Amino acid sequence: MSTTEILEAPVRKKVSSSADRDREQLDTSGSQLAPGAWKAHEKLLFRFFFIYFILQALPLDWKYYRDVLGNGFAFSLHDLFYAARYVPRIVADIPAFADWAILALVAAVGTAAWSAADRSRTEYNGLYYALRVIIRYRLAVGLLAYGFIKLFPMQMPYPSLSHLNTAYGALDSWKLFSISTGIVPGYQAFLGSVEIVAALLLLNRKTATIGTFIILPFTGNVLMSNLAYEGGEYVYALLLISFALFLLVFDINRILRLTSFEKITRPNLYKPAFTSPGWKYSRLALKSAFVFVFVFLYGYQSYAEHKEGGYQYSHSAGLKNTAGLYTVEEFKVNNTVVPYTTDNDVFRWKDVVFEKWATLSVRSNKQPLLVKTNTEEIIEDDAERNYEFVGSAGREYYSYSADTLAHTLTLTGKNVKGEDASLLFHYSRPDAQTIVLEGLNAEHDSLHIVLNRIDKKYLLKEAAKGGRQRGLKL
Amino acid sequence: MAEHTDINLTEDTREHAPVLWREYQRILFRIAFIFFISISIPNSVEWYKHVVAIDWTNLHYRDLYDIARFGSGLNIFGNKLFGSTLAGYANWIITLIAATVGGLIWTFIDNRRKNPVQNYNLLYYWLRAIVRYRAGIGIIGFGFTKLLPVQMPYPSTGLLNTDFGDFTAQKIYWLSIGIVPWYQIFAGVVEVTAGTLLFFRRTTLIGSVLLFGALGDIVYVNFAYDGGVHGYSSYFVLLSGFLLVHYIPQLYRLLILEQTTLPVYYYPTLSKPWQRITRVSLKTVTIVVFLPLFFYLQLINFWYDPYKQPSTKGVTALRGYYAVTEFRLNNHVIPYSPLDSVRWSEATFENWTTLTFKVNRRVPLDLSNGGGDPQRDINRTFEVAGVGGGRRVFHYFADTIDHVLYLQDKYKAVADRRNVTAGVGGDAGEAQGRVASGKRKKDGIYADDWISVAAWEHIGDENKKIDSRAASTRRDREFAKVKGFDERNRMVLKFDTEDGRRVILTGLDENQDSLYVVLDKVDRTYALSASTLSAGKY
Repeated sequence: MSTTEILEAPVRKKVSSSADRDREQLDTSGSQLAPGAWKAHEKLLFRFFFIYFILQALPLDWKYYRDVLGNGFAFSLHDLFYAARYVPRIVADIPAFADWAILALVAAVGTAAWSAADRSRTEYNGLYYALRVIIRYRLAVGLLAYGFIKLFPMQMPYPSLSHLNTAYGALDSWKLFSISTGIVPGYQAFLGSVEIVAALLLLNRKTATIGTFIILPFTGNVLMSNLAYEGGEYVYALLLISFALFLLVFDINRILRLTSFEKITRPNLYKPAFTSPGWKYSRLALKSAFVFVFVFLYGYQSYAEHKEGGYQYSHSAGLKNTAGLYTVEEFKVNNTVVPYTTDNDVFRWKDVVFEKWATLSVRSNKQPLLVKTNTEEIIEDDAERNYEFVGSAGREYYSYSADTLAHTLTLTGKNVKGEDASLLFHYSRPDAQTIVLEGLNAEHDSLHIVLNRIDKKYLLKEAAKGGRQRGLKL
Repeated sequence: MAEHTDINLTEDTREHAPVLWREYQRILFRIAFIFFISISIPNSVEWYKHVVAIDWTNLHYRDLYDIARFGSGLNIFGNKLFGSTLAGYANWIITLIAATVGGLIWTFIDNRRKNPVQNYNLLYYWLRAIVRYRAGIGIIGFGFTKLLPVQMPYPSTGLLNTDFGDFTAQKIYWLSIGIVPWYQIFAGVVEVTAGTLLFFRRTTLIGSVLLFGALGDIVYVNFAYDGGVHGYSSYFVLLSGFLLVHYIPQLYRLLILEQTTLPVYYYPTLSKPWQRITRVSLKTVTIVVFLPLFFYLQLINFWYDPYKQPSTKGVTALRGYYAVTEFRLNNHVIPYSPLDSVRWSEATFENWTTLTFKVNRRVPLDLSNGGGDPQRDINRTFEVAGVGGGRRVFHYFADTIDHVLYLQDKYKAVADRRNVTAGVGGDAGEAQGRVASGKRKKDGIYADDWISVAAWEHIGDENKKIDSRAASTRRDREFAKVKGFDERNRMVLKFDTEDGRRVILTGLDENQDSLYVVLDKVDRTYALSASTLSAGKY
């Protein structure tokens, strides 16, 4: 399709590049095609891809409106993120390749009908331009959605204290991928800015191809990471790649001809004609609205959310001055001391982490439930946020609500097997570093637990302080 | 793809470049020429010594890797500016200053000639060819250790049982790739492909874009994770950036200005047969050595002697993660507590010759990258480098007849020099700053003859313990270097086990106190998926 060009009158103007100054003037007379005509196979392919990509890019799926508008639309970070993530879902509630096959089938049928109805048509330059505009903006909005939550590093937040105190092998690969990137927010911001710059390049038709040079390796890497780390976003990543590839096709022949085959190359000669003032102003208005909503408003929402601590962890206030790692100095069941033991059949807590927010996690010889997730979600309901425990099989997580007058902690297990998912403790704090918990477990055994906070030094943080140059003892 | 009409150009299609360069272009070129030649050729004597000494009949992958990986830039003026190495970049700035001075002198000389030069088309061609091959060979060397995934090993059992916060950031990054060998292969394919594309003119643009993007990302990663390889990665960004510069004016004109664009190229006419033959042979040899031969050597390395992991198989029965059921020091039982500063709280035996255990005591740490090119198992430190949390890692020589393990601490107070041939680091936190141990009396297990001759016969020759296909002159040479034992902590433990599920260790620990440890194997399940690709043969 890209080799077809509207040839204007023979160009006899002086070329301005200094490299050409001493060359002859160019002679561009004659072409073997009628001016502007497309070949038959080009028209056919275009009709197919036009229908196919319209179906993939324009929000036509009712599930999208159900999810995005279901709870009202407040232009929040959450709402805009999901608005920007349209994917047609036909066979299931998550995107699948089977959907692509169905859309391709529909497009094939549509192509046949269209070809029959439109026999006399010689070119589709206008429609091709319009299709590319739709894909450019669809791709841009998709990249901006992910770009800003990296630029303000929230998508992969810094690991929680519980994560730092979880064995490496007790985390699944998707979780490890996320927290391994979480420890370098500067790098995540860099990745986000690359995505945003690439998205902005798509907003102008001349810089769009340069944008695809960035997008294809970047999103290609996202795709490979999803496949390797058992992530669930590979269908969506491949969809974005297909958009970028289609945009590249427009210019790829020209670029190869110039730089690989090293022959004189004509540029794209189709310039869209927006002559009427109505078109001029609506274009400007639409473009401005897009930039306002998905760059400035969305960017601001990301910045604000990041300032509040991000959307992955709970913002609930934990018990004052309890955050830290605690060893379990004493563990009594029915008033009998249970010492530390290597026997896996004897239940005993090993260590406890209190987070800054109202979560505590317990390491014991009990295996927690492994809850898995592998897609990016923004969960607005604080109580539903699950980032800290999904993909982790090393600690049992409890969210707690504290009654500071009655000195009770009501624990609700997030990934706890069995009936011990709900515990009620009476707590006391003899000093700032000690917490004593007393309560009953599900079998009505009394528990008396003495927790002692330790000032653990994490190599991850200590090594970062002085660099790895100086000798370190930990 | 073919245009239907071709514009009339000069008959000679080997060149299409301006005959007369402008003054500023000629000056810039002279500076660039000196600069890029300086940074494309090896600047250390070690490299030349190494290349001359390669035994081409008995190769190791590292022989080829060391050809590709060398330091460059003018270092005759030193490597510091204003007293600092500027994160390693001072060398580039010094080289640039020297190149500028050289370029200006060259300009001066040229301007005084009767017929000053009109263009540097030919020299520019050769400069780009040299940069292309330097970048291509270099990145292929880097790429093969990922394509056959050995650069970032899958975590050992000891590492799987170390808490996330007890690693350095560099270690976290390396492990995050180690856990997905297929992704590492993909990264290797990208790097090798980018390098290969640079060997050919037609694909130089795409190769440079790929190299620029991939290595640009790696530079940032190295700064973010304190990875230590930012200098060498930036080097490729610089080289590929230089190659890209050639295309930018043309692409700008074509895509942004949307005007008809003429390509710019110049290829020297090699009319004489000896010139053509030389060119084809050099190119063929380079490609054959750095692609299929390198691939084969790296494959052997992956199968039998993955360079970062110890390659010797461990005692078959001693494998896995063990709880420490009983622990007696000098016949005094110490009950289990993960907080005890003497008692082992858990132990692992790896697939290879390593024992690890965890103790709640502060120990000096090896914060290096654990890489380089050591041949002996004891110097392969990926299990101990960047690892904290009280984990102790010991190499063992196993006497399987008398059932004795001769253990040495993999942590060493005075670190080895790594990447000697490269002349440049790649290993942060090296020689300086290790916490030095005190002088130890050479008695008991610290005597020089702590492993008897009979025991050595039972243990065998470590050099011969890998598959013969992985044998190489390089490995033989390193093993032939007569070394006494380094100053390391030692233990000598007799092991007693039927099927490996219960192991009893008796002997002397590093302080020569008597130790009695009962280990019971725990069948651990990990949330992390096991690797579908295993390096090494154990």
